[in-house]
Amino acid sequence: MKKNILIIDDSESIREVIAAGLESAGYNVTKGINGQDGLTCLENNPSVECIITDLNMPIMDGITFLKEVRKSEKHKYLPIIILTTESQEAKKQEARTAGATGWIIKPFSKEKLINVIKKVVR
Amino acid sequence: MDAMRVTYLEEANDLLSNLERALLALETNSNDKSYIEEVFRVMHTLKGNSSMFGLPLIAEFVHDLETIYDKIRVGEMALSKDLLDCTFLCLDHLKIIIHDSDLNNQINRDNHENLIHQITDFINQKKSDDTSKNSENIQPSLKTFHITFEPQPTIFENGTNPLFLLAEIASMGKSQAIPHFKSISKLTDYSVDSCFTYWDIYLETEKTDKDIMDVFVFVEDCSKIEITELPGINLLNNTTFTDLISKNQYQDLKTDKEEITSLATSLLTEVKPETAKQEVAVKTTEKTEIVAKGKKEKTISSIRVSSDKLDELMNLVSELVTTQAGLSLFVANNKIAELELITENVEKLSRRLRDTAFGMTLVPINNMFGRFQRMVRDVSGVLGKEIEFITEGGETELDKTIIETLTDPLMHILRNSLDHGVEKGEERIAKGKPASGKVILKAFYSGVFVYIQITDDGKGIDVEAVRAKAISKGIIKATDYLSEKEVFDLIFYPGFSTAQKVTDVSGRGVGMDVVKRNITDLKGSIIVDSKINEGTTLTIKLPLTLSIIDGLLVSIDSVNYIIPLSVITKCFSVNNKDMIGSFNNLIVLDEEQVPFIHLREEFGYNSLAAGQSQMIVVNNGERKVGISVDNIIGEYQAVVKPLGKYYKKQDFVSGASILGDGTIALVLDTNKVIDLYTQNTQKEEKSWQLN
Repeated sequence: MKKNILIIDDSESIREVIAAGLESAGYNVTKGINGQDGLTCLENNPSVECIITDLNMPIMDGITFLKEVRKSEKHKYLPIIILTTESQEAKKQEARTAGATGWIIKPFSKEKLINVIKKVVR
Repeated sequence: MDAMRVTYLEEANDLLSNLERALLALETNSNDKSYIEEVFRVMHTLKGNSSMFGLPLIAEFVHDLETIYDKIRVGEMALSKDLLDCTFLCLDHLKIIIHDSDLNNQINRDNHENLIHQITDFINQKKSDDTSKNSENIQPSLKTFHITFEPQPTIFENGTNPLFLLAEIASMGKSQAIPHFKSISKLTDYSVDSCFTYWDIYLETEKTDKDIMDVFVFVEDCSKIEITELPGINLLNNTTFTDLISKNQYQDLKTDKEEITSLATSLLTEVKPETAKQEVAVKTTEKTEIVAKGKKEKTISSIRVSSDKLDELMNLVSELVTTQAGLSLFVANNKIAELELITENVEKLSRRLRDTAFGMTLVPINNMFGRFQRMVRDVSGVLGKEIEFITEGGETELDKTIIETLTDPLMHILRNSLDHGVEKGEERIAKGKPASGKVILKAFYSGVFVYIQITDDGKGIDVEAVRAKAISKGIIKATDYLSEKEVFDLIFYPGFSTAQKVTDVSGRGVGMDVVKRNITDLKGSIIVDSKINEGTTLTIKLPLTLSIIDGLLVSIDSVNYIIPLSVITKCFSVNNKDMIGSFNNLIVLDEEQVPFIHLREEFGYNSLAAGQSQMIVVNNGERKVGISVDNIIGEYQAVVKPLGKYYKKQDFVSGASILGDGTIALVLDTNKVIDLYTQNTQKEEKSWQLN
């Protein structure tokens, strides 16, 4: 069975890059354009096994999205990876507290991405 | 040929097959330096042997090859497919010229010239675009780490699964993780949402402690992680060490870091000399030292014994077992207390001796697998098919004579699978299968039998096509109803072939009928199972050894015979008058008409007037035939001995076994008995038919 992964990012190019990388490694990918859209996606795809989300997004940002997901009993333990840059150390901590499982530092290679996914989904 | 030369040839043959194995392994794992070392080492030994035995032509040839692999070994040259292909050619050439060391044969001489030319080209090739040189040169060093991983109880809350991290650690090398549950104090404190377990992990890896820390990168803030490098290598192979850590596991002790480190240090002093030697051997360019080391390891693990000596040993042991049976019988009849004790000991010892001796003739099937690897490689190349060949259970042991006889039939079956079974890449893709086919050769034990299975994921056997072919050849009638299994078995019929055309690969005059006969000769059987477009499986069932068989001891007029249990399906008690009065030698058993042979009559004794006989129903190919004897004495494990030259032509007897009281029982080959009977009666009255 292919694992389902939800990517949430407001930049289309980032979404496509990540999706292409994951799909070539044998994952199914669902794409969301912001936190709010991500929640809808999650509702429509209950079989999602991991979420990768950006932090800065219009309408609903990553941290709020994280908190929303963790509120739900069903997705309490769902692995959520956040996309961050080196300079956002404080943001990373904030996301951690909000319940992020791990992070990927931008920019990243496909190998790095897959390695991180493998840490949380098997 | 003098004895020295025989030894050289024996060893050269072994070396060449080692070389073949190592080359095949190298082809699939081209980055594994140890195979290059192996290839180099074998070549070096072969060169040394050849020059010592005064065969300069071979020695020079191998020397040139060795030069190439030496360059690869030190990273001056890259391994390429061309080179491997050429090496395989050289290997084949060597196999031939070790028997023609002066190149008297013109073809060999031409080949030799040609190959030397190719080798020199490789040697002269400038160091190619070998970028991997540096990475190859660095000897990765193994280190053992002790890792303590204590996650906070809340670790699950952000979706972390600590077990994934353990799995990631496990993928870095050889590891052992010991979970501790001490922190669960009371059941009431227990909650599924929290993590109470912590781990002691031992990891032997080439990676650094930084790499290990990277595994825990997401959890380092919320867990206690300690990584200590332990002195010494191969700690996980050291029993003193593993005993201690498993003791800690069972008693759920928290591992004391100092204790572990000091233990590792103390083990290090024991291990050190060997480690040091290993390092020297790896670093030194003095080739002889490496070769010497490799050779030493080999002599310790096994010695070479000629198979004649082994056969002689087996004979003596069987004599001993027989004599001992006689002794036991004597003691049983003569009640001598002192002797009873001694006899018991002799019995015990001879049984152990028998088991050990018979064990010696068993060799792992692996010896045969190497040749198959090579054949599959070559044949798939010729056919232009991509084939993944997997062998399993190579450690399964079988009698050496069985293995020798089995090689050809297995080769044939494999060739069939490659040629007729597995489809070409595009055809496979069209069927939704992966482009590369898979052929699995598997050996395993079950009871006193060894099973060998050849499975392919090819197109399978078309039942209808086989049926149609059998009808057109007149093997079966169009009206005959055959089960799927019976149809599959038709492929063993002499002259039967579903192949549209005879190809280079499988059309070598050997049919599946020969395969079947070979296997039947080994007292084995073969079963075909196939699903269209899913593949075919052939299962061969063989007895572990030929020299001991499970038999049924029977008697006719107080003479004993043994019938192999493997052919017997059922035994019946029958009235003699039913047999004598029966029409055309047919008798009804289990509501089924069975043709039978009245063995008593055939062997020339007077017919019994009244009373009972035993009818033993045996398999004769596809049909069942009854064989009547006077009495069944019981099951008997028979040591089968060959018969002298006077019995050479009596092939309905496959051997003889000496019973405990010294009398001899002939082992009957029921198939031959039936053949002989059919021939004789057909001569007498042409119209006689078993069916």
